[in-house]
Amino acid sequence: MFTLENFLFLLQGVPNTLAISFLSFALGFALGIPTAIVKQFSPYGLGYVADAYISVMRGIPVLVIMLLFHFGMAGIIPLFKSAFLSATFALGLRSGAFQSQIFRGAINAVGRQQMMAATSLGMSRWQAFRHVILPQAFIVALPGLGSEIALLIKDSSYAFVLGVLELTKYSDIVRKATRSFLYPYLIAAILYIIITFPVANYLDRLGSRLKTKYGLR
Amino acid sequence: MKTAAPLDPISFIISFVTEYYPFIIEGFLTTVEMTFLGLAGGFVLGILSALGDVYGTRLMKVIIAGYVEFFRGSPLIVQLLFFYFSIPALTGLNWDAFTAGAVTLMLNSGAYQKGYFKGAIEAVFKDQLMAAKSLGMTFRQTLRHVVLPQALRIVIPPWTNEYISLGLSTSALIVLGIRELTNISKSIAAQTFRPLEVYLFASAIYFIWITVSMRIFDWIYEKVKIPGLEVSM
Repeated sequence: MFTLENFLFLLQGVPNTLAISFLSFALGFALGIPTAIVKQFSPYGLGYVADAYISVMRGIPVLVIMLLFHFGMAGIIPLFKSAFLSATFALGLRSGAFQSQIFRGAINAVGRQQMMAATSLGMSRWQAFRHVILPQAFIVALPGLGSEIALLIKDSSYAFVLGVLELTKYSDIVRKATRSFLYPYLIAAILYIIITFPVANYLDRLGSRLKTKYGLR
Repeated sequence: MKTAAPLDPISFIISFVTEYYPFIIEGFLTTVEMTFLGLAGGFVLGILSALGDVYGTRLMKVIIAGYVEFFRGSPLIVQLLFFYFSIPALTGLNWDAFTAGAVTLMLNSGAYQKGYFKGAIEAVFKDQLMAAKSLGMTFRQTLRHVVLPQALRIVIPPWTNEYISLGLSTSALIVLGIRELTNISKSIAAQTFRPLEVYLFASAIYFIWITVSMRIFDWIYEKVKIPGLEVSM
């Protein structure tokens, strides 16, 4: 039987799911912006490094990266002894590559003319980028970042394979303990939808509101 | 018995590959098989639900929206567990992990492919539909000779992304115990006590597979695309 207590028990998985997704998003943000800049300007010919990073992260399942970190690299990097941190770093590393593509798309969308206008006013290329292009690019990037957070919330369920006590793991525990086969997973799925939907939706609407406000296309 | 000195990574990779290669090949083939099953099923579901969403009745649109929201909003792992454990409990239908996994991948991929097909169908301009109608073509003829030939070309680049993301998502099948590449790697890592090299090797296989497939799809797109009709989605 699936009872209210079971449901409340299941809810205990939500904080960890949120923690994994938001920490990995922050990590991805911190990695994504420099990567986008390196790829855009390719200082010292480093563009290839950004390219390699992005294509490697695009070509390997995030679960394999988690397993590699937690089981393969815990001896080298003590941080990865924690399954939680392995999962967060794996997701964050991949998110950095994805977010760099979102930012690059946004930077290109803001356009070359603004760069030329700013440099003709005597700003250096970096100043123009920092004060003219980047603030606008953030706004353009908001909907993309929203779907990236949604993706991270869903993919945080891979941490279940490492045994992290997040929402999927809790639903599995409830299924095993109560032998109720229908509700635990169904309710977990609905909870994921309830969590992802407002976040992605909010950033999407915020993006279009700010776009109108600042007259971006 | 004297214990041998641990092998250096390169020699170890050579030795475990020579020892375990039948399993690695089996795992890789299962991964590819699952990806193609999911894509093929998702292709049919995706086109049908995209057509239903664009041209269908109100009720159809609501049902399709619910289907898409469920499969795009929740994690694949939860869907796999749900279909493997809950559907038999609900319907009495008894299926093995492989079937449950394949069906879930199809439904999941269909929900994503629906979005791409819908975008591609809508990218075919409305005036073309009117032009076709004024030439006396029926709705089905218009679909068959005007809309789909264009839409199926436009959809290739986003569809390639779906191929990549579904291909990598098959690693989630590990929760059902299906012997795909990630699961096989986990077993080999546990048997050899050398997880670092084993997972790096598995990563390399995934990476090469995905990169080669991407090149192939790009090549196909270059071959069949209609110049001037390129839509970014």
